[in-house]
Amino acid sequence: MLDPQTIKQWKRFKSIKRGYWSFVILMVLLGLSLVAELFVNSRALIVSFEGKWHFPTYAGVIPGETFGLDYDYETNYRELKQQFKDANEGNWVLMPLVPYNAFENDLRTDRFPPYPPSLETQHYLGTDSTGRDIVARLMYGFRIAMGFALVLLVCSYAAGILVGCAMGYWGGAFDLLFQRLIEIWNTIPFLYVIMIVASVVVPSFWTLVTVMVIFGWTAMTWNMRTSTYKEKAREYVDAARALGAGHSRVIGVHILPNTISVIVTFIPFSIASGVASLTALDFLGFGLPPPTPSWGELLSQGTNNLESGWIVGSVVLAIVAVLLMVTYIGEAIREAFDPKKFTYYE
Amino acid sequence: MEIFLRRFRLLLFLVVVGIMAGCSGPDGSIDQNDGGSTENNVSDQDQNEGTDEDDSGETVYVELPPIAVREGDGLPFELPPNLVWLTNNEDPEFASPDAIRGGMYRTWMLSFPLTLRLVGPDSNGAFAGVVRANQFGPVSYHPQTGNPIPVLATHWAFGEDGRSIFYRLNPEARWSDGVPVTADDFVFAVQFLRSEQIVGPWYNNYYTERIRDVKKYDTHIYGVQGADAKPQEEMHYYYGIGPRPKHFHRMSDNWVTEYNWKPDPTTGPYHIGKIEKGKYVDLERTKDWWADDLRYMRNRFNPETIRYRVIRDENSAWQHFLKGEIDTFDLTIPEYWHDKAQHEVFEKGYVGKYWFYNQLPLGSTGIYLNTADPLLSDKNIRLGIAHSINFQRVIDTILRGDYERLETFQLGFGPYDNKSIQPRKFDLKKASEYFEAAGFDSRDNTGIRTRTNDNGSKTRLSFRVTYGNPLHTPRLVVIQEEAKKAGLELQLHMLDSATSFKQMLEKKHQMAWMGWASSGVAPRYWEHFHSDNANVTQTNNITNHANPAMDELIMQFRASADRGERISLAHQLEQIVHESAVVIPRTKVPFTRQGAWRWLELPEWLGTRHSTALFNSQPSSQMYSGGGLFWINEEKKREILQAKREDRPMAKLVVVDETYRN
Repeated sequence: MLDPQTIKQWKRFKSIKRGYWSFVILMVLLGLSLVAELFVNSRALIVSFEGKWHFPTYAGVIPGETFGLDYDYETNYRELKQQFKDANEGNWVLMPLVPYNAFENDLRTDRFPPYPPSLETQHYLGTDSTGRDIVARLMYGFRIAMGFALVLLVCSYAAGILVGCAMGYWGGAFDLLFQRLIEIWNTIPFLYVIMIVASVVVPSFWTLVTVMVIFGWTAMTWNMRTSTYKEKAREYVDAARALGAGHSRVIGVHILPNTISVIVTFIPFSIASGVASLTALDFLGFGLPPPTPSWGELLSQGTNNLESGWIVGSVVLAIVAVLLMVTYIGEAIREAFDPKKFTYYE
Repeated sequence: MEIFLRRFRLLLFLVVVGIMAGCSGPDGSIDQNDGGSTENNVSDQDQNEGTDEDDSGETVYVELPPIAVREGDGLPFELPPNLVWLTNNEDPEFASPDAIRGGMYRTWMLSFPLTLRLVGPDSNGAFAGVVRANQFGPVSYHPQTGNPIPVLATHWAFGEDGRSIFYRLNPEARWSDGVPVTADDFVFAVQFLRSEQIVGPWYNNYYTERIRDVKKYDTHIYGVQGADAKPQEEMHYYYGIGPRPKHFHRMSDNWVTEYNWKPDPTTGPYHIGKIEKGKYVDLERTKDWWADDLRYMRNRFNPETIRYRVIRDENSAWQHFLKGEIDTFDLTIPEYWHDKAQHEVFEKGYVGKYWFYNQLPLGSTGIYLNTADPLLSDKNIRLGIAHSINFQRVIDTILRGDYERLETFQLGFGPYDNKSIQPRKFDLKKASEYFEAAGFDSRDNTGIRTRTNDNGSKTRLSFRVTYGNPLHTPRLVVIQEEAKKAGLELQLHMLDSATSFKQMLEKKHQMAWMGWASSGVAPRYWEHFHSDNANVTQTNNITNHANPAMDELIMQFRASADRGERISLAHQLEQIVHESAVVIPRTKVPFTRQGAWRWLELPEWLGTRHSTALFNSQPSSQMYSGGGLFWINEEKKREILQAKREDRPMAKLVVVDETYRN
């Protein structure tokens, strides 16, 4: 069962409409992005060919020969749909809402990319300068950015909380030593490190996460150190110690739950900064390698093709919307966890 | 974010400087030095800083030693009596007599030069090319006929050994400070470029290994001896070294620092005038220039001043151009020609667009397959890859149909070109045949071909493509998607330009997407394909191609002084390169495109066969003397600016000239 305090906080959070709805929308978007293949994909959802049904979405590549086409590479389902329609032999194809994936170049011979938004070609936000669908790039880019931010969050918080708690709990020389170490560590300019790494190897998702965790974990330590110091001085910690609880139990079971509000209030802002840093790195060309769908890459394309306003327009709107929602959530959480709401002196 | 950008700009600057250093080989020669010289420059600079500190303020000037000649080398002590002195005053003039002298031509550069020296550390930036173009050699080449034309020398003669050449200087020739140019300046050039004081190992090596002797016979007559015999037509290019002002340089261990901001006097039309460090450099026309009335020089180099402004970003340079603060802008890139140049200054006819086909050595752009890779050592796989790469689709879409498919590895050297070779085209059927022959006969569930090895394991047909230019990513993603159809996976491996080049020189790549700049009179094969350069690091043989039969032909090609034989050898060599399928030639850009405010005027014939750019303010480009043909019409400038103020449109001007299209 949830403890009453948590329920109170959740109710309080829910009552802050802006934050709550932001949370709902963002969660829905995140959920949708996890199954984006069902909505935004060049592969058909269902192909009915000669009475047999095929579900290509999560399967391997189905070569064109399977459907009586004359090539052995992956079927072009959009063309297939048209062909079935023209032939009218009872075969049919059900395509996703946006029938493009994030990588394919939908290039036409009569015009040069980027193509403007069009209902007819089903590029609802147009294409980028190599003819890739912007909705698809945004959707898959969102999934990667959020995934990146979450993984980054978990890893750097784990390290930060661990070290921070230890510093606050033991204090003394240990604390002093780590404080100095962290101060020194913080002076290493992390952006330069990323640039150097990116120039020597092609950065992958995990190298980027690793580098950013290595330089980002320190932020959390100061807050955790302070809260642990505060909690450690309380009677319940002494009581637990007196009952014979070990250090790890005291920290893990007693102190940590009481500092949770500090951690939780920071989470949304860390996510926002995770998304923003990945976007910034991609924008500068030090992020994930091409052709990974990425907002930063789209943004840099957009700024280079200002004439094609739909590129920069879509991506800026998307970034603003997501960061705004995350900020609203953060604000609501901070309100919800504000201890002043629950004091007896009200 | 701001910090991000600021740091990014710094890095960009470094990269750009790096690229520029990589692009312009000194005196138009050999790419090979590029990789090495950057590195050398760094260490040299360190050494130099060291000596600065030790220096107690007293500079000790030294005399350079006389030119050392090896055994077996050396020019005769007396001028050979039977020399046949040649000259060329018959070729057509190519400048317009309508040209108007005067005015300021305004252009831009990305960064301020790090030094104004022409040799030594940091001297290989983009701006150095501008200054070098104003340092004439004894002879240049006619931009239409390709024949040698007199410049500092009036006559030349070839020695009997096939590797010596003698020049008779024009007694009128002067440095821009008024001092006459004499044979001493040529002797000094070799002493100077061989000296340690210039801290230029590339020059030291080149002027020791390639140039074997220089002798003065008279104030105005001297001879040069090179390492190998060369065809007479090409001898000036290889051994026609330029002079250095002997009266100007005082050599000391401190030379590099002392001459950092002391520009050499020039023999060409312009010399460095006003400078504001970090902001601009003015090139001023030399008063009463000695060559003003020479047959091939008159009516050229018309602007009185050329201002190179520092604009650190291409986009903002474009804005300056649209405002009319810069006179011309390069429109070669399709986005510029087709999209950005639809701006109203073009539509209203204030700025003209010029598309001019030329005939110059084309860059050897392509995908280079590293045969040291176990899969790529299989010729079937290489052939399969060549048929899986859809350059035509890139050209038709991303490049707007402007660029063309490059047919052979090296092209644009006139008779040396092997025109019988057709490039391999995107052809899934052929690709499939070759891949199947190599054992890649099934596809995995991602659609990529696999081969089942003897031990039962599976190998996927997947390769890394290493490249260093983010501008090429759009082209590569199209190629990547198309290659999937053939069951070939390409992983894009983008690094910064210096690192990617280093990886290639260290042969750590599988497939290298890159291009070699080409220049000169004949293609080069030794550095790219000889087995001496295969499987060792820091050489230009990035395919690790090794073939004894080809080695033999390459050595014959290098040693031959008979042009006809060299041409036939080049054709055979190019055929072997094609058959080996180690290079997939990419695209060529056989033209120059520029936008120019309409007050800049050109001759009726716009440019020459060998024009690198129509609005080229510099005397020579590559090895041809064809620049400086345009002029500024001040009256028209007033008119156009007036029209612009009143928003009155004029006739739109788009010129496409295909006279020299192949």
